Amino acid sequence: MSDSPNSATNGRIGYRYAEQMTPPEPERVTDVAITTHPHVFEVDPRLMERWVLQQQFPNWDSLRIMNSRADHLAWMHRHFAYSVVTGSELLAEVEAESSSGPGGEGPTGV
Amino acid sequence: MTQLDRQGTSDPVAVPFTPGMRDNPEELALIPDEIAREHVVPPSDDPTPTEQFTEQWRNASYNCFSSGHKFCREVCPVTQVTRNESWTPTAFHANVVAMDKGELTIEDVAADYVNCTQCGACELRCPNSLFTGDFYRFRTRTVDVVKAVRAFAVDSGVHQPQWRTWNARTDERTHEPVLGDTPVSQDHVRDWSEGLDIPIGGETVLFVDCEAAFYRTSVPRAVAQVLQLAGYEFGLMGEQWCCGGPAAEMGYVDQAKRFAQHNLDNWRSTGTRRVLVLDPHDYISFTEDYPKYFGDDYDIEVVLVVELFAQLIREGRLTPSVPIERSITYHDPCRLNKRKGIWKEPREILRAIPGLDFKDVDRVTQWSYCSGGGGGLPVEKPDLTAAISANRIQKASALEVDTLVSACPWSERPLGEAGRSESIDVVDIHELLAESLGIVVGGSRGGADGADPSRVETANDEPVGKRGE
Repeated sequence: MSDSPNSATNGRIGYRYAEQMTPPEPERVTDVAITTHPHVFEVDPRLMERWVLQQQFPNWDSLRIMNSRADHLAWMHRHFAYSVVTGSELLAEVEAESSSGPGGEGPTGV
Repeated sequence: MTQLDRQGTSDPVAVPFTPGMRDNPEELALIPDEIAREHVVPPSDDPTPTEQFTEQWRNASYNCFSSGHKFCREVCPVTQVTRNESWTPTAFHANVVAMDKGELTIEDVAADYVNCTQCGACELRCPNSLFTGDFYRFRTRTVDVVKAVRAFAVDSGVHQPQWRTWNARTDERTHEPVLGDTPVSQDHVRDWSEGLDIPIGGETVLFVDCEAAFYRTSVPRAVAQVLQLAGYEFGLMGEQWCCGGPAAEMGYVDQAKRFAQHNLDNWRSTGTRRVLVLDPHDYISFTEDYPKYFGDDYDIEVVLVVELFAQLIREGRLTPSVPIERSITYHDPCRLNKRKGIWKEPREILRAIPGLDFKDVDRVTQWSYCSGGGGGLPVEKPDLTAAISANRIQKASALEVDTLVSACPWSERPLGEAGRSESIDVVDIHELLAESLGIVVGGSRGGADGADPSRVETANDEPVGKRGE
């Protein structure tokens, strides 16, 4: 996925303070959440006014985190696709070993 | 009493609810907020410096301390090579919690905070950033916490010896002492541009970091000549000082602010509206530190040269055509990839260069890669930087490449030194692009292999932190 960090600046490269400090007009999606940038959901700021205050978030930071999350999840999917053996594969392997092993005994404890 | 202690079915909080929902019972609005515990340390009318410090950083630190995921550990370059529990991102937050509770003092922990390159891997990989940071607009802030603790240490009179000397010399010479005992000075900050006929001032100026201006001069020479080839107008600063970022990273914030103010004033005095930046560390200073210092008054546009070059290639204003027969991999500079999310553009440039055998390693895998050259680490702990660089070079070596390409001059000295033992050449992406555009770059690559004899008297091959500071 991954819009570029420049997607908040209509593709223009470069950092401009006023632009970065002005998030897109929020749209309400539920009673407690809003959206700003595409794919970025945010808690309603009303709920972050007392115990833990929100931090200053320039646009590039919200987009960086959103893009990194997508990239990381894709990376994890690739990792598991190539590195993780399914349970059924393991069972088949155990059964194959059991049936061809000495005495041909069945798997125990499975 | 807490909300959980309430009894009775008529109590509106007896049923689970989501604060802020429109269909919540109206009685909920009548219940005051309560917390489950009293203050462990009652707020003081006359807070100590430590109390003032922890008041500011308490929430950021508990954000880590109370969750304890520790996904940060395996991506932390210092943790990878030291396995020292006191030097983990977790410990950096836990120490602040301990100071908040009066269990530790800044004198106890200041030296631990040296062991961080401020690469940003921990705070990005932390689930409190990666999975919820943008939702709550509240993310893990390890880099800011480390910088704040270092600044608190300096304000408290707790100095690290090399850092104190380094910043004193920077203050004296207006540039970092990257050449060791060979002085750097304002008189020589533009020496790298000799023969290139670049004007002073103008709407757009190229800012060249201390390492590139004095040590690896081939990088700014490559950048300037590529810009000239593309017909992109730019000048140099009238009186350029160090960006101030390294001082801020090491805790010398007042000095950093003075340097920043000088540079901003100088840009304004020459009518400059746009600053081109070739160094990721400067890019962080200009897009994170300067905005904090100057707020709404900060009206300078900051453009990263790597992004600009990728755009110029896309637009057809630059067409690399000279084949470069190298087997390469790319080192994602931490401050671009992890801290800014900039990783596509360097790859666009590399894929536009003919002849390269590019064995890429994806950006997420590289969250755990680092040169060890940032955050002042090579100044105070050069051996630790060398260990981290060696670790990074080994990963490149496993790909059986002959060249590691970086986009950060500060990474290229430690990586270059580590690369010699593995016969891996460390090249800057701007240098490589210039070569493929048929430009004879000139200048010095700092180390003996690429040094320009005309610059031998000012070049110094010793590692940054081994200069008897």
